[in-house]
Order: sequence, then C-alpha cells, then structure tokens
Amino acid sequence: MPQPDGTRLDRQAERLSAKLAESQTRKSFLGRLGAAALAIAGGSAVAAAVKPDEADAFHLCGHIWTTGSCPSPYPPLARIDRKGYPLHPSSGRPIDNLGRIVDSAGYALDGNGNRLLGPDGAVLAPGPRTRVCEDWTREVKGLRDLRIQGSWYRCCGGQIRKLTDCCSFSSRRINGDASLVGYCWGGRRVYCVMYYDTGLAC
Amino acid sequence: MLETFTPAVCGSRKRQIVGQSLFAVAAVVTSAMLGLLLGLLGSMLGAEQAVLGAAALALVAAAREAGLIRFSIPQARRQVPEHWRFELPLPVWATGYGAGLGAGFFTYQPISTFWVACAGALALAEPVPAALCVSLYGAGRALMVVWPRRRADDPTAAVERLTSRRGTLLRANVIALVACGILLAVAPAAGAGVTQIAQNALDPTVDRGNLAFATASGDVVVRPASGPDRTYNGAAEPSLSGPYLAYRDSAGIRVIRWADGTEVRRIASPNVSKPALAWPLIAFVRRAPPYDKLFVRNLVTGRVTLYATVRLPTDLGRPSLRHGRLAWHSATRNESKIMVVTLSSGARRTMAITRIGLLGNPSIYRTRVVWADARFGVTFLKQGWVTGSRRVVLARINSRTVSYWTTALASNAAYMTRWVMPTVRTDLFRRTP
Repeated sequence: MPQPDGTRLDRQAERLSAKLAESQTRKSFLGRLGAAALAIAGGSAVAAAVKPDEADAFHLCGHIWTTGSCPSPYPPLARIDRKGYPLHPSSGRPIDNLGRIVDSAGYALDGNGNRLLGPDGAVLAPGPRTRVCEDWTREVKGLRDLRIQGSWYRCCGGQIRKLTDCCSFSSRRINGDASLVGYCWGGRRVYCVMYYDTGLAC
Repeated sequence: MLETFTPAVCGSRKRQIVGQSLFAVAAVVTSAMLGLLLGLLGSMLGAEQAVLGAAALALVAAAREAGLIRFSIPQARRQVPEHWRFELPLPVWATGYGAGLGAGFFTYQPISTFWVACAGALALAEPVPAALCVSLYGAGRALMVVWPRRRADDPTAAVERLTSRRGTLLRANVIALVACGILLAVAPAAGAGVTQIAQNALDPTVDRGNLAFATASGDVVVRPASGPDRTYNGAAEPSLSGPYLAYRDSAGIRVIRWADGTEVRRIASPNVSKPALAWPLIAFVRRAPPYDKLFVRNLVTGRVTLYATVRLPTDLGRPSLRHGRLAWHSATRNESKIMVVTLSSGARRTMAITRIGLLGNPSIYRTRVVWADARFGVTFLKQGWVTGSRRVVLARINSRTVSYWTTALASNAAYMTRWVMPTVRTDLFRRTP
C-alpha cells in the first residue's frame, strides 16, 4: 500500500474517527479510546507518536490470540468492509459469497472488469453477498445470536487494521473450546474474528 | 469338506496341497465372478435404491442373527456331491468343490451374512470393486479348509474349538451387520458414475429416454433413444415432453413435434424465455420490467396461471415442470432458494435456502428434485425429495472456476451442464446412480 501524505492522512483519520464514533464498537473501551485519540490528535500526530511495529499473529496479521476467523469466502482471511460484508483479502474489492469480485450493483466481474457472462451469453444475475458474522457464521455454525461488537487495532501492512469480534452467547468459540469475553459485552463472548483494513497508514 | 482334503483321500501329501490350492483358487474366482455379476446388475438397476435396500437387509439380518426375529433364508441345503471325488480326477473335483462353495448359492448357509454381502455388492454397482469384495467370501471358504490344518494335530479338533465359540462369533457377526447397515444407510450413493455425454452443450432436458440440449453455436439438438440426432437451428433453452419439444427462438417460444419439426404452438413475444414443457402445460418466464414473472399456460385450454414474481435484478431461474409439480430458483443478493409448487393444490415448499451459497437450476422428476449448489471453491449437485427432508450430494466439483449450471432429471440419471467460467465452455454430463 502506498504511504499516504500528511493531508490525506489527516482526512482519513477524521473519517476513521467519525466511523469509529458511529460504529457499534463505541461501547468498547478501547474502541472509544482509539476514536478519541484519533479525533483529538489527528492521524499524523498519532502516526508519529505510536510508531508501531507490525503485529504478528497466529493466523492473520494483527491477531495474537487464538480464536479462529469467521467463515468467509477466503478462509481464514475474513476481511470485511465497514458494514461486515466480505472483501477480497488482497485487493480489498467487494466480493460476493462465491468469492467473485463484484461491482456496486452486485454483478460479478471478469478479469477485465466487465460483467461476467453466463454460459448462455447473458450477464450473470447478482449472487448473494451477505455479512460474514451475522449471515455466514450464523448459517455455517447454526448460531442465531451473532453480533459484531468489540474491536481493537493493530498495524498491518503499513496501515491500521481494525480487528473485530463476532460475538455470541455461546460458551464455545469457533475453535470448539471455551470462548473468551474479549471485547464483547452484554453477556456475549467472542465466537470468531474478522478484520477491516482502514487504509490509514500507521 | 475338511476330511476330503486329506492325504488319504487325495492320495498323498503333495496331492492334498494341490487339491487345497485348486479348491481355494476356484472358490475365490467363483465368488469374485459372483461379485462381478452383482456389481454389473447393480450398475444397471441404480445404486442409490440398492444401497438403501442393502442397508435395510443388513439390519434385518442383524435382527435375525440376534434372535429378535425368525425367518428362513433362501438356500440350497445340499452338500457338495460326494461321488465326484470317486469318479473324477482330483483337479476336477477339487476345482468343482471350490466353485460350488465359492458361488454360495448351492450350499448351506448357517447365517444370513452371505445375502447381505450379495446385496452390498449389488449396491456397490461397480463390477470390479464388487468382485474384489465378494471374493473375500471365497477366500473365507478356502481359509476354512486350510486353517484347521496349520498344526499337526487333528484338524477336526480345531473345528470343534471354533464351534465352541459359536456364541461369540454370532454376536460379532451381529455387530458387523449392524455396522454394515448403518454405513450403507449413511453413505452417499455408491458407485456413482459421472460421464460426459456432449461437448460444447448446455441446458439438458430428458424425457422417456430422449435427450435434448442446446449447443454453444446456438442450436438445439434432440438425441432420441434410438435413431439419429435432430438439429434445430437458431434455438435455445430446449424442453422435451414426449413427442413435443419447446425451445426459445428470436420470436418467442416455439413448441414443435421433434420427430418432424411440425410447429404445434407458439408464444410469440420476445420477452418470454426459459420454457419448461409437460404437455399440455408449459412454464415460462415473462420479463415485464422491473419484474420477471413465472407463468404456467395450458396449451390446450389457454388458461394461464402466475406462480412467481420477482423484482429485477433478482434471478428467476430456468423452471422445471414434471408430474404436476413446478420447480424454480430465485436468487437475490441476500439469499437464494429452490422452490417447488404442486400445481393441483398450490402447496409450496422451499426445498433449499441459503444466505451464503448460490442455489440454481432445479429439475424435478416425480418427488425428486436436483439442483446446483455453488459455494466458494466447490459446487454440489444435490438431490432432495419433495416428501422429506433428506438431501444427498450426487456430484461435486472442487474448483473456483468450474461449476455446475443447468440440470435435468430422469428416473435413473441426472444430467448437468458443467461450466468452465474463464473460457465459457460448457459440456454435458450424466450422473448415473
């Protein structure tokens, strides 16, 4: 990822802080703390002050705990957008549930960016694109109470990565063993994890 | 039999070994031949039904051996013809005894396991694997001639020791039969074979042994059960029903007699597509933006009934109409599902629904429905029953770029279009049970 300049960084920081303030993670202590810090100090100052190292992980960058990733089109890289829908792990472009890159209307695209044609020569109708936590994990694991709740931040690939807990009342996590409270609240515990790359340099 | 293969009867120790060897080879070969025939028969009957039958038979046999139920098993309560060994040369009678016992049908069966093994071979529906499996029966027969003589003492004592453990052996046999029944019941259809039947073809339709499909070059080909292919140019989306063929052309939907090409009916509208014919009914999709609507029209009375309406760009897929039931798929950005409606009652059933996969192109035959179930990196051809919740996987492709597309279903086979996405190449495959 290219290193953003200072002005762009500030703009991204403001946007991120606004998103953080609006997001469900505001009840998370670290989420609120991060939003406040970014809002007050600005992205450049934070970037200068923190100077973080890369956060190594067990199975994806930024995740140093053992809870597994949520089911997604490209397991274990459960990369999501800010609304929880799947993104391509490397390009960051929206993908449908079959892993195909899609346009804003949901049509699958070929390698040249054209809408994918079916065997009959007609444009393929949009396929399902559903949320990784609330839809994917719910259907694959049969849990009906899943919510995106807490989150935390790490530096990955030169940008701030928001790691998000998909929380459930289940006492077992996706690994099959006992779940942790983590950054979940209201009695929920961490069932699986996802990540959102903010695009904000760190 | 044990006393037959003695140096005294055979003439010498060396002739005894020769006799035992010939007996063993004949028993194994004969039982293998039996398995071969059963596997062949199973492949012609259809393994899926045979699997369930074998599972049921194994459980019934287990109940019989456990003493829970009583019934006689079919068998010839005969021993091998004793006079053979006096009248025939050793190689002949030893081989004959082995063949007679290895075939299983011509001798006494104290337990019903042999019949379960036969049913299992039938269910395997593949001749060679079935031959290998049933040959173990012959090997067992041979073992019982050789094994008691592994020591120098009286071989009949070894048989008596074995007989004294009959209770344990019967219990072990019951456990084995129960395990066999369970495994057969939960196993996917054994011996399933997927074979390519046409290249550069898609949209299969099958009825009464006749097959039709569209070609990548824009034609429809009818491949009768007997006789040469018939090709209709400028056609797509075929659907067969007895002597009739419906397809889409530039002017709408055309219904013809496929034997001579005579036009029978026409739905003249460029906005209609995806015909599914079950004469005199025809299902089709009419596009009336922003909606797609699924209708069924009676081509004799003219009566039209609306069965589904979706708002574009929701995908309302190729319907299937057979035996009074209509199946179709719809796929939105939030979910996809397979629907079936019984035309006489209007009763609807959601056969399958998912928020994470793409279900499409169902085909129905009596109470069975098949459809393509695409997930990331894998596509399944699944079959379900309108009357129950059971689902089985008929075929699968582990690929991100190859998938199943349209399907067709007959009494003894499923047909599917296999689609290679990067090259947009499509081929037709048949999955026999």
